[in-house]
Amino acid sequence: MTLTATFLGADWQTVADAFGLGGIYALMAVGIGLVFGVLRLVNFAYGQLVMAGAYALAFAYERGWPVWGGILLCFGVVVVLSVGMDWVVFRPLRTQTPAVMLVATFAVAFLLQSIALLWFGSLGKIAASLSSLNQPWTIGGVHIREISIVAAAVAAACLVVLVLLLARTTVGLQMRAAALDFRTARLLGVRANRVIGSAVLLSGLLAATVAVLMTVQTPLVTPDFALRDTILVLAGVVLGGMNRLVSATLGGFAIGFAAGFLGGALPTNQSQYLPSFLFAAVIVVLLIRPGGLFARGGQQAAERV
Amino acid sequence: MLELLGPGALVVGVGLFGTLVSISTQTYVVNALVNVAIVVALYVFIGNSGVLSFGHISFVAVGAWTAGVLAIPLTEKPAIMPHLFGFLRHTTVGDVSSIALATAVGAVYALVVGLPLMRLSGLAAGIATFGVLEITHNVLRYWEKVGPGVTTFSAVPETTGLLQASVGALIAVIVAFVYQRSRYGRMLRATREDAAAARAVGVSIYAQRLVAFTLSGALAGLAGGLYVHVLPINTELVYLNLTFITLAMLVIGGATSLWGAVVGAVAISAVDSFLAEAENGVHILGGTLDLPSGTRIVVVGALMAFVLIVRPSGLTGGRELRLPRAFARNVLTKFSA
Amino acid sequence: MLELDGLDVRHGAVHAVRGLSLSVDRGEIVGLIGANGAGKSSTLHAVMGLVPAAAGDVRLHGRSLVGRAPEDVARAGVALVPEGRRIFAELTVEENLRLGVAGRPNGDLARAYELFPVVKEFRRRPAGALSGGQQQQLAIARALVGKPELLLLDEPSLGLAPRLVDVVFEALEEIRESGIAILLVEQRAQRTVALADRSHVLTNGRLTLTLGPEAAGDSETLVAAYFA
Repeated sequence: MTLTATFLGADWQTVADAFGLGGIYALMAVGIGLVFGVLRLVNFAYGQLVMAGAYALAFAYERGWPVWGGILLCFGVVVVLSVGMDWVVFRPLRTQTPAVMLVATFAVAFLLQSIALLWFGSLGKIAASLSSLNQPWTIGGVHIREISIVAAAVAAACLVVLVLLLARTTVGLQMRAAALDFRTARLLGVRANRVIGSAVLLSGLLAATVAVLMTVQTPLVTPDFALRDTILVLAGVVLGGMNRLVSATLGGFAIGFAAGFLGGALPTNQSQYLPSFLFAAVIVVLLIRPGGLFARGGQQAAERV
Repeated sequence: MLELLGPGALVVGVGLFGTLVSISTQTYVVNALVNVAIVVALYVFIGNSGVLSFGHISFVAVGAWTAGVLAIPLTEKPAIMPHLFGFLRHTTVGDVSSIALATAVGAVYALVVGLPLMRLSGLAAGIATFGVLEITHNVLRYWEKVGPGVTTFSAVPETTGLLQASVGALIAVIVAFVYQRSRYGRMLRATREDAAAARAVGVSIYAQRLVAFTLSGALAGLAGGLYVHVLPINTELVYLNLTFITLAMLVIGGATSLWGAVVGAVAISAVDSFLAEAENGVHILGGTLDLPSGTRIVVVGALMAFVLIVRPSGLTGGRELRLPRAFARNVLTKFSA
Repeated sequence: MLELDGLDVRHGAVHAVRGLSLSVDRGEIVGLIGANGAGKSSTLHAVMGLVPAAAGDVRLHGRSLVGRAPEDVARAGVALVPEGRRIFAELTVEENLRLGVAGRPNGDLARAYELFPVVKEFRRRPAGALSGGQQQQLAIARALVGKPELLLLDEPSLGLAPRLVDVVFEALEEIRESGIAILLVEQRAQRTVALADRSHVLTNGRLTLTLGPEAAGDSETLVAAYFA
């Protein structure tokens, strides 16, 4: 009964929010999935890339930079950090077991968060250059915040560009092959470092995009910016199916949509327990289909180099 | 025998050290001993099974909540926890009983969680146990019928001093030792080394992991019981930060040995305590060191990342304490002559 | 063109290849035969840089390949058709071939299509839809599109029906004609010995016997070689 009431009671704003959040989470899922595909490494610290981008935006806003200046700085900082992470952390870890890699990226996540805490303090900075997007659009008598639609649209556009990149370009083909069977790809002359570098770069670009979109609705940037979201996206990616980019992205979108919808539709005293419901669902799915909801049955993870 | 004596002696040594220092420093020592208990609990499962669990701090939390709620004097309960369940509101137990109950509840919770989850490994296990941590934190934070919710857990008798912490840590060490020497421990370690071979000789991976998980849940509950009696805590203190730091301790010490777990806990607690002091300004070597707040977790994080990248087997190499070969040969030949 | 000089390969404690020396020249097929675990695959892997050479040298045109990454060895003109084919089942046949080109400017799909017409026929289908024999042809075609000077094959006839083995071995002859050097690892001793200019027998990592094509009919020698 509650669910139908929720459905009927949910307004267009909530639906738009759900699509917006789903889109943002889908982008994060792709960022995580791309790196996982070529490195077989789950980057717990992905949220820290978004955090860094958000701080860059705050930096620019505090100094009164134009919007485009802030966005450029954001992209620059995130890409540099992403590549740096690859050099310092991912490369030495490539020969380790998945468990070690998981704990290592967990450590890096914490390290970056605590560096931010040290550097910027816990009070937070404001990044409100694009706050105008919080204004509502009126469509057919219904009010919807611009950002919800913009986020969904930007996410969709990015995904389309990515699909084209992966399907039509040589680099994309190499990344897809490397994700399936890295060793054989190298035998054919595919340069490991180039493929990994491309994945890391793309992953960074996506994180920067997410930072820009997220600061609109959450202009207060703190060291744990996007931490909650990263955890949910990771859960969503595992839920959808880590091994393939499509299923990982669907998983990320699904959990974002669910979180956005339920967050808006549920009354507060129930929405407090939202993380519990989401994670309980994730655990249940993992027990029934450890490969993920959207994964093909019997999908084997291809060998890493 | 050194396998037990080493860690045990270190715990006792730390406890004794605590009697020599000032009262304010003693708090750090007590915390270090509680950390030892937590890290040993982590080791019992992660070290022996090779499966990563991000969720063990939820057992610490549950243990802490159990001991705390039950140990608060009856008169104080309505003030802090007005919505408590009936039987919880009207029961108060003594210090030791509260910790014993914490251990039991930790074990039961771990068993319940482990029954479905022990079938998973690798990434799925990591995410699922993380989910348990999230759920536990979420529930404890908002369900005011079982605890103080978002408010701080004050009015718990502060009975964990040097003695209680040392005894608690020592119990954890002894239990871990007995387990790892037992058939169960050895069977589980066999699955860590070579799952297929272990299965071939009839070891049930699921069953052995469940045993270790439950036992480690008990020890974590014990640690939680100790923890809640040190100083007032809240849900954030038994959540991500503690998960991170205790995992760091285990990894840096050496995840696959009891010695590594204890060494890691003591070493990192020492570093952390020193840095905490330095954040308040400390006099060393004739000068003053005054670090900005938050440095300590950066240093610990950097250490953990460094160890993982450079020497993943940790400070102890993941091995138990043994007599150096030459020394042993020398001594033993003298005794057998 | 290819020279192995006292090559040693270890897998942990196991000494897979011991002091192996051989050479392969343009337009030659050199066979490497022997029982399972004799070190044949390890030899190919060492040439490609997939496993490190514990001792000895591997030279292409006199320049050492040891210590180079697999993709660099590939770009130097060496192509490996791995055991079990290892095609990308989820990608199309054409995409599999394009990977073989991997950014090299003068990659040649046309020649591959010429040698293996069935590959051309299926080029838009996912590679996983092909039969075992067709996949083997695809694997070889994929190795050829990068215009290698040296082709390494790891048990290409594994799991194939005799008629398909014919197809593969005929293709190898044509490839030899075009001047490519071929190092062929096989378990089918007799056919390999018959096809190759010379065949080396590996026993426990050591080269124990070299046979010419005239020995192909001599089953006694072959059996003795395997159990030496």
